[in-house]
Amino acid sequence: MRVYILKRLIQIVPTIIMITFVVFLMMQSIPGDPVVALLGDAYTEEDAVRAREAYGLDQPVVVQYGIWLGKLVQGDWGASILTGRPVLEDVLVRLPVTLELIVLSMGIALVIAIPAAIIGALRQNTWADYTATSVAMIGVSIPEFFVGVLLLLAFSIGLDGILPSSGWVYLPGTCPNMVCGVSFWGNMQHVLMPAVALGIGRAAILTRLLRASMLEVIRTEYVTTARAKGLSERPVVLKHALKNALIPAVTVMGLQVGFLIGGAIVVETLFAMPGLGTFGIDAIIARDYQQVQGFALITAIAFVVINLLVDLTYTFLDPRIRYA
Amino acid sequence: MANGTESVRTVVGDAVLPVGIAVAEGGERSESPLAQAVRRLRKSTTAVIGGLVVVILLVVALFADVLAPQSPIASDQTQTFARPSAEHPLGTDQLGRDMLSRVIHGTRISLAVGVSSVMLALFLGVPLGLIGGYYGGRTDAVIMRLMDLILAFPIYLLAIILMIMFAPTAGPIGTMKVVGAIAIVRIPIYARLVRGSVLSIREKEYIEACRALGVGDPAIFARHVLPNCLAPIIVTTTLGIATAIIVEATLSFLGLGTQPPTPSWGWDLKANVAFIQANPWLSLFPGLAIFVTVLGFNLFGDGLRDALDPRLK
Repeated sequence: MRVYILKRLIQIVPTIIMITFVVFLMMQSIPGDPVVALLGDAYTEEDAVRAREAYGLDQPVVVQYGIWLGKLVQGDWGASILTGRPVLEDVLVRLPVTLELIVLSMGIALVIAIPAAIIGALRQNTWADYTATSVAMIGVSIPEFFVGVLLLLAFSIGLDGILPSSGWVYLPGTCPNMVCGVSFWGNMQHVLMPAVALGIGRAAILTRLLRASMLEVIRTEYVTTARAKGLSERPVVLKHALKNALIPAVTVMGLQVGFLIGGAIVVETLFAMPGLGTFGIDAIIARDYQQVQGFALITAIAFVVINLLVDLTYTFLDPRIRYA
Repeated sequence: MANGTESVRTVVGDAVLPVGIAVAEGGERSESPLAQAVRRLRKSTTAVIGGLVVVILLVVALFADVLAPQSPIASDQTQTFARPSAEHPLGTDQLGRDMLSRVIHGTRISLAVGVSSVMLALFLGVPLGLIGGYYGGRTDAVIMRLMDLILAFPIYLLAIILMIMFAPTAGPIGTMKVVGAIAIVRIPIYARLVRGSVLSIREKEYIEACRALGVGDPAIFARHVLPNCLAPIIVTTTLGIATAIIVEATLSFLGLGTQPPTPSWGWDLKANVAFIQANPWLSLFPGLAIFVTVLGFNLFGDGLRDALDPRLK
């Protein structure tokens, strides 16, 4: 088990280096001169030369990458061209908000999908199954931001505005600066709609997958055996069937992580949450190269790490993998 | 039911034509796999509904100029934020533009980007998968590492980065940029799918027989390898259009898609969220349009999958 985890950890190193190189190259080829973003339209040639030297923009691309990567490893992710603030610091401040959103939305997805899939599979072709599959079909087809808009209409504009439409209240102990709202309930109120908006789509995909794999699993011989030896329905479904049905579902959920991250960016933008997504989009609009790089990098690394966690989940679900 | 068949023709294209021939020639022979698939497809209510939605959307996109009551970009400053009425069935936006006309014209961008980005990804990804899977060795390794590189990024992040590089603009060029960005992030899906199928097909004896007979590689690809992995490609393509439409709407929503004044559902939804308090219907209709379009392709794709390849269920 430990060897397996170590092996997987080592495997992600070349992936991350590859990512850094691609992010760097892409940012290099962005149209527009960063000097203009730095100095505005009115600058002298000397100012431009000085600025290029100060930010290493006069060096060859490979050298710029080498310098950048070296600094990166040491925790120097550069400073924002516009505000001068260290990028890594800004990124790390934003990360917990996005993580909270993602974790909660996955939780919501699981809470909806597991019962829905079990009911759908055990009562195949009944009204309960049809309801579950139809709702799941709708959930798969509805983009996160439209769910968000519907929730806004229902809970922020309708129903006397019981849930806030934008802004953020931090969880106790996570406030990044001196002035921010801190309260557990306040946080829950702010995160609920975004998490549901992001979770619904995932719940729908998971329901469809899990129902299909449950249908396969409950017809296998070991489930029949479990029933034949007198086990009650509950352990048969939860311990024997569900655990095995989760394996293919986890694979596809792993492939969904990319969409989840995109969804988080969109939902954060819609609800004006101070997470990584809004950070990235704001940086893109402002053409702040350093911040965009930091955003792309942390997002891509998070993607690799989440995929690693998905892989490690297999070892819990399927002991055969541990010894492979 | 007639509509169901029509939608099959739209998506599968020429592939449907041999059905009639096969059945006519076959006489008492068992029906061809394609005929079976079409029969199964017509029996599926969801596929027929999905197909119907897709056909209607295609008609709306093709005849948007005739169907839209007004110009989607002509603003009328005296009519800003008009509530839905006989003159403006879906109301007007902050520039006094007719929302119904914008939603109708938005169909064009959505379908154009959805269909052409998937087609582009298909034309690039399928040959890559064919070549990699068939020749194996170093060629395969290079192609697959390249695909891994694309897959190492979350799909939206890569699409966003590509759109920053392309610099979003309005009009047909702007649309082509979005198509390019979405196509690039989708290439690995087709390359991997085809490679997987080819890996198993190339070991078959009939391929060896072809080689022994001296048939050239292009002919083997076209006549023997490709037809055998067509079913999963068709299904993935249809469902892929649904995904591409969502990605397009998302990029537009983030301000990185086709730029205004070109009407785009994602952009309209985002632009009108700011006024949601007083004018809730404005964000509702573009969102609804995206939802119905994606649902149509998903329903049809699901039906196709069940009909063409029951193993994929």
